[in-house]
Amino acid sequence: MTGAWLLRRLVASVAIIFAVVTFVFILIHAAPGKPCGGQSENVDPAVCDQLNRQFGLDRPIPEQYWRYIVALSHGNLGYSASLRRPVAEAIVETIPFTLQLAGAALLLDFLLGLGLGIYQAGRVNRLPDVIIGNATLFIYSLPTFWLALLLLLIFGEKLGWFPVGGASDPVLCAVVDSVYCLKDRIWHLVLPAATLGLVGAAGTARFQRAAMLDVATQDYVRTARAKGLPERRVVLRHQLRNALLSFITRFGLAFPFLLTGAVLIETIFAWPGMGRLAFDAILTRDYSLVTATALVASTMVVGGNLLADILLGLADPRLRVRAGADVEALTA
Amino acid sequence: MLRRFHLTPIIVLAVAALAGCERRGGCTGPYCGTLIDAAVAEPPTLLPPSTENIVANDIGEQLFLKLADVGMSTNTVGDEDFQPLLAQKWEWDGPLTLVFHLDPRARWQDGQRVTAADVEFTFDAYTDSTVGSPFRPKLHRIASVTQRDSLTAVFRFKEKYPEMFYDAVYHMRILPAHLLRAVPRDQWTTAAFGRQPVGDGPYRFVRWQAAQSIELVADSTFFLGRPGIRRLIWRITPDLQVAVQQVIAGEADIREQLVTPDNVARARAAGLSLYPFRGSVYTLLDFNLRASDDTTKPHPIFADRTLRRALSMAVDRASLVKSALGDLGKVPPGPMSELLGIWDPDIRQVPYDSALAARILNGQGWRDHDGDGIRDKDGQPLAFHILVPTSSVLRRQYARLLQEQFRAIGVHVEIDELEPSVVSQRVATGKFDTAILSRQNDPSPSSGIAQSWTRAGFGGSNFGRYYSADFEQLVDRAVTATSRDQARALWRRAMETLNADAPGIFLYSLQNVGAVHKRVENVQFRPDSWAALLRTWRIPPEKMIDRDRVER
Repeated sequence: MTGAWLLRRLVASVAIIFAVVTFVFILIHAAPGKPCGGQSENVDPAVCDQLNRQFGLDRPIPEQYWRYIVALSHGNLGYSASLRRPVAEAIVETIPFTLQLAGAALLLDFLLGLGLGIYQAGRVNRLPDVIIGNATLFIYSLPTFWLALLLLLIFGEKLGWFPVGGASDPVLCAVVDSVYCLKDRIWHLVLPAATLGLVGAAGTARFQRAAMLDVATQDYVRTARAKGLPERRVVLRHQLRNALLSFITRFGLAFPFLLTGAVLIETIFAWPGMGRLAFDAILTRDYSLVTATALVASTMVVGGNLLADILLGLADPRLRVRAGADVEALTA
Repeated sequence: MLRRFHLTPIIVLAVAALAGCERRGGCTGPYCGTLIDAAVAEPPTLLPPSTENIVANDIGEQLFLKLADVGMSTNTVGDEDFQPLLAQKWEWDGPLTLVFHLDPRARWQDGQRVTAADVEFTFDAYTDSTVGSPFRPKLHRIASVTQRDSLTAVFRFKEKYPEMFYDAVYHMRILPAHLLRAVPRDQWTTAAFGRQPVGDGPYRFVRWQAAQSIELVADSTFFLGRPGIRRLIWRITPDLQVAVQQVIAGEADIREQLVTPDNVARARAAGLSLYPFRGSVYTLLDFNLRASDDTTKPHPIFADRTLRRALSMAVDRASLVKSALGDLGKVPPGPMSELLGIWDPDIRQVPYDSALAARILNGQGWRDHDGDGIRDKDGQPLAFHILVPTSSVLRRQYARLLQEQFRAIGVHVEIDELEPSVVSQRVATGKFDTAILSRQNDPSPSSGIAQSWTRAGFGGSNFGRYYSADFEQLVDRAVTATSRDQARALWRRAMETLNADAPGIFLYSLQNVGAVHKRVENVQFRPDSWAALLRTWRIPPEKMIDRDRVER
C-alpha cells in the first residue's frame, strides 16, 4: 500500500459520493409527490406555493441542481423545508445518535457473531453447532421491524426492563451530562442496538464459521497441528488470524446494512438519528434533507469500505504487494 | 495485580452511577408535577401563524393566548360560552365593529405588557400574503384591526354574520410585536423565534430537542392563575403503537387519541383513565367528478349523479364502521365530524339498499353482458380506482372493505396504495377517480364546508370539483343567518342537498378517546383542542411519582 494508492482511492471515493448525491438529487426530484403537505392531503395550495417560492422549489430542476452544487461547494447543505431549519444543523444533531446506535450494534454484531462462529467451527456438525446454526438462521430470517416490535412488547411494555423508545429520560436526562445520564442513554440504547446487532450477529456467525472452516483445511494449519501445538493456539494464532481477513471485508459491508437498518429501527424506537431523519425527509419530499442524508450516508459507507481496504492491506501483506504493483503499472 | 487494575475503574463507575441514581428533586407542593405527552409528530415551528400542525397547536395553547376562546360547548355563533383570555371584556360598537378591552395584567414572558398594538400587528401578520398563513382565508371577512388605546383593540368587519366574534378570536394567537416586528415577513416560516418562542400563556418555553422532546414550564405568575402542573413535555414518538406503549408502560402520561379499539382495550386493561370526546375528523370516499386525465372533461362514471347515488347505495356504511371501528366510529350524516354543532343523525342521506343500487345500474344499461362478473356498458366495464395513503392502516382496511362491497354489485375496484405525498399531489391535481380522504373540522362549518364543497374550493380543497348552485345558495344563507336556529335549519337543508347529489361516500367520523395516567385529576378535554385546558389539570401531592418531584 502506497501513498499514491491511497490518493487514488480517495479520489475515487469523492467521485462515488458525488455520483450518489447527483443520482439521489435527480431521483427524489423525479419521484412523484410534492414537498409541501407531504403527510396531509388538506394543505391549502396557496400555502404550498408560498413555501415552494421561499425554498426555491418552484425553479427548474437544473437550476435547483446548480444552486445546490454551488452551495455544497461552499459547505452549505441548504435549508430543510419540512424542519424549517438549516439541514447541516439537523444532520449534526442526529449523526451522534446514529453513530451510537450503529457502533453499539456493530460491537454486538461482531463480538457475538465472531464468538459464535469460532465456537461453531470448533464443533462442526455436532449438536451445539446444529443448534446455533439453526438459531442464527432463524434470527437472520426475521424481519427486523418485527423483531423490534416483539422486543418492545416483551422487554418494554410487559416486563418493563427497558424503556419503550426514545434516547433518554426526558425529565431527568434530556442531555448526557452526568454518569447517571450516560447510564440512562445506554439503557435506552439496549433494545434498538440489540435488534440491529442480533440480526447482524446471526449473519456474522454464519460467515465466520464458514471462513474458519475454509482455513482449517489449509496446509499451515495442518502443519501447526503436526508440530504438536496446543489446539487453542492453533485456532487462535493460525486459523482465526487468517479467517479474520474475510471478517474485515464484512466490516466494510456492515456499514450499509447498519445504516439501512437504522432507518426502520430509529423510527420504531423513536431514536433521534439520521435514519429517521432520512425516512421522514423522503416521506415529506424534503429534497435538501434527502440529498444531504444521502451525502452523509454515502460518505460513511465509502469511508467504511476504505477503512476496511486499509485494514486488509495492513493485515495481508499479499494485498499490499498487489496494490503497489497496480500503482507501478499505472504510473509506468 | 492485573485484575485489581481492571476492577478499579469499574468500581468507580458503578459507585458514580449509583450516586447518579440519587438525583431526585424535592418539589412537593400542590403545583409540582410533570405531564409527558406521547406525541406522534414533531412541529416544524412554534410560530402560530406559520403552521397548522396539531402538536404545534397543542403547544401554542400553552404559550400564546387568544383574545378569547370557545367554551366546552364549542359554540361558534354569537359570543355565548366564549371564555375571556387576553381580552377582559368586549362590546359591539355598531353592527360591524367589535371592541376588545385587554386585561392590563397580561404580560409577555420577557416582562413587556401585552398591548393593542400586538393585536393590530397580529392581524396584519396573519393576513399578510408574504407570511402565507394557512389561517388567512378564515379572516377574510375582517376589514381591519386597529388600536384605540394601548389596551383597546377595534375589529371592523366587512359584513354582518353570526360568527363574527368566533372569527375575531378563534383563528389568531396574539403575537409579541416588539419581538417579531424586526423579522422579515418572508422569513417567518424559518424564524429563530419559531424554535425559541416567547409567549404570554400559562407556560414558558424551556427547550426543544430535535426529534426528541419539547419542554415547557409553568409560569407561576400567569395572570389568569398559576397552572396546576409544573412541567409539560411533548415526547416525540413517530409510531402510534409505540406511543401508546409508552403510556401503558408509564413512560408517558397521556396519549390524546388512541385511534383503534385495540388500543382502547389495552389502555383500559393497563388501568389508564379514559376520556372519550367528540372527534374533529371525518373520512370519505371522494368522487372525482372530472376526468382524471383531463380535468376539463366530465368523469365517465362520477359525473353521472344517478350512478353516484347507486354506488353510494351499495355501501353498507354502518356495518363497515362496526367491523372496523366498533364503538369508536360513527357514520357521519354528511361531510362533517361530530365536533360540528350541525351534526344530526336525522339529516337525510342516501340509504343503504344494494338491491335498489343493482336495479338502478341495470336501468342505466350497466349489466354484466360478457359474464365476467363485472357490469359493462358499450364495452366499457364499470370499474374505477381508489386512491389511499399507505400511512393509514384504517383507510387501507376501508379500501379493501369497499372493494368487496362494490364487487358484490358487479363493480370492479382497483386499490392504489401510495405514499401520502403522492396522494396529496394526485388529489390536488385531479389525477384520481376516487380517494379515501380524512378531513379535520374546526368548530364552525362555515369555512371548512365552503372550502371543500363549493366553487371557492376549486383548485383548493374541493378536490372532486363538486358544484351545486342550490347547495351554494343554502351555504351562503346559512353562513349569514341571523339566528342559530335559522342557521341550523339552513345547514341541514344544505347537507341534504349535498347528500342527495352523492359527491362522495361519508364513511366514518372517529370518536376520540384520550388515555391519561390515573394520578392526573381535573382532566378536561375540549373537543376541538384537547390541550386547551391543560393549565387546569392537577396532580395531587399524595399521588405524585418520582418524575413529578424533579427540580432542575
